[in-house]
Amino acid sequence: MKKLLLTLAAACLLASAAFAEKKEIHIVSINDMHAKIENFPQFAAVIDSLRAIYPELLIFSAGDNRTGEPLNDLYEIPAYPMVALMNQIGFDATTLGNHEYDGGQANLAKLINLSNFPYLACNIIPDPKWGINVLPYKVFFVNELRVAVIGATQVGPAGHPDTHPDNCTDILFTPVEETLQEYKWLRDESDVVILLTHIGYEEDVELSKYVPWADLIIGGHSHTQVAGGEFHNDIMITQDINRLERVTFITLTVENGKVIDRKAKNIEIAGYPKQNKIVAEMVRYFSDNPAFQRQLATLTAPMTTYEELGCMMTDAWRVETGSDIAFTNTGGVRYDYLPAGPFTVSDVLRLDPFGNTVIQLQLTGQELKDMLIATHYADISYGFPKVSGIICDVVFDKKDNTKIKDLKITNPDGSKFDLKKTYQVVTNSYTAAIAKSPRKDQGRDLNRTTAAVIQEYLEHQGTIDYTGTQRVFQSISKK
Amino acid sequence: MNVTVNRTKVEIFEGAQAQHAVLRYLVHRHLAQSWLKRGRIQDAYGHQIGLDAPLREGQIIKFKIR
Repeated sequence: MKKLLLTLAAACLLASAAFAEKKEIHIVSINDMHAKIENFPQFAAVIDSLRAIYPELLIFSAGDNRTGEPLNDLYEIPAYPMVALMNQIGFDATTLGNHEYDGGQANLAKLINLSNFPYLACNIIPDPKWGINVLPYKVFFVNELRVAVIGATQVGPAGHPDTHPDNCTDILFTPVEETLQEYKWLRDESDVVILLTHIGYEEDVELSKYVPWADLIIGGHSHTQVAGGEFHNDIMITQDINRLERVTFITLTVENGKVIDRKAKNIEIAGYPKQNKIVAEMVRYFSDNPAFQRQLATLTAPMTTYEELGCMMTDAWRVETGSDIAFTNTGGVRYDYLPAGPFTVSDVLRLDPFGNTVIQLQLTGQELKDMLIATHYADISYGFPKVSGIICDVVFDKKDNTKIKDLKITNPDGSKFDLKKTYQVVTNSYTAAIAKSPRKDQGRDLNRTTAAVIQEYLEHQGTIDYTGTQRVFQSISKK
Repeated sequence: MNVTVNRTKVEIFEGAQAQHAVLRYLVHRHLAQSWLKRGRIQDAYGHQIGLDAPLREGQIIKFKIR
């Protein structure tokens, strides 16, 4: 009898092992939202629908939550609207994208403190003086399973994330792959290991060779639309195109402490037919931003021409970056009249609405001359560029008044411009892209928007008057 | 930095996004810049990438008119 009972007990144990319960983990991953707050009501509705089915849904962001939308970036606490919306939706974690640093160390520390979710990055060591509260990893307990999520932030060729270097002062960044290896022990302590990275798709594929102990890489940075999840070196990698167009819904099936199945599919957000009403109301509130009416300077006389406004814009870029010369394509100056009175944030954003960034180049006088001409031809429907730090006399062909026959550049005091001397020149990213001309230096992005630099200039000036200011003089050849 | 757009080498400023490389490519090919909004940018593996996707030295991208 005793033998029979023991046999039955052994059989029961074997049966329970054979039919060990399979458990599922459900995750929504997103990356590079870049403050596309308009899509949040639809995004929240998608989350509501999924949570109704999967109450323990995890939501992870692979970074770059901010930057790219003035409504968010120019808020009283810069980038706070995104934090508030992510809190409302109930994000479980984010990693730090390179743009998370754009507001500087103090702003980042403040945003992290205002967030109801952790910021995960194992390869960042901020000086304690900044109060930047970042965790290397977090273990989530979901459906009786241990889910370890390790964050990793992008480190560019300069040794810090791609942002203005001042934003990274006194923060140490360590190599992603090497640093991640220090957290390999989490494999033994967890049922699932997820890497939440902001390093780019190709870098994630490369990384997958060295982290066979991970189950999933939720990636960001390169704005790559991966169809569902791709398998590389037996690790699933996900990433979506930027600005909340799509998210990825991931299902991991775990049995006996091991992930036995991984599925992922993309969900369209931009065209989703439903909205979460509370989130929609929050977006409306943030869109009616009083900060946009903030006065930056006083205009003592109206500005009445593209030339005057273009002179002011380029003065702003030249002065605020400490450069010798600045210029912009004329199409980048979006209106030609502003009445006397307050010059507001809204006025700047209407004048320079494209989100262009400042590009700095080292150019000889001749290279600058060639670049100005190339800009004219690439932006021909708007005419010759607007300039600061030089005076331009442009002579157009008598038969074709768009064709430049001669360009004479002089210094602002009327003295001869040295075509052989090297100048520090700034322009906007659009102009730097379209101006195809011979030059040794293609320039570098200063990671500051041109609109933000104009705002700084106006605040520093207090009052401005550009009445009658003209630096580009145009004439038609007599021959 | 140098990137390749549709097999054409393009030299562009450090920190450029995909849209900047495609704009330079369009200028190089004497095509209107308005094509930028009517096309789709892909990485070397055929994935769609965003207009403001960051680029790095040596990256290969494709621009396809839809």
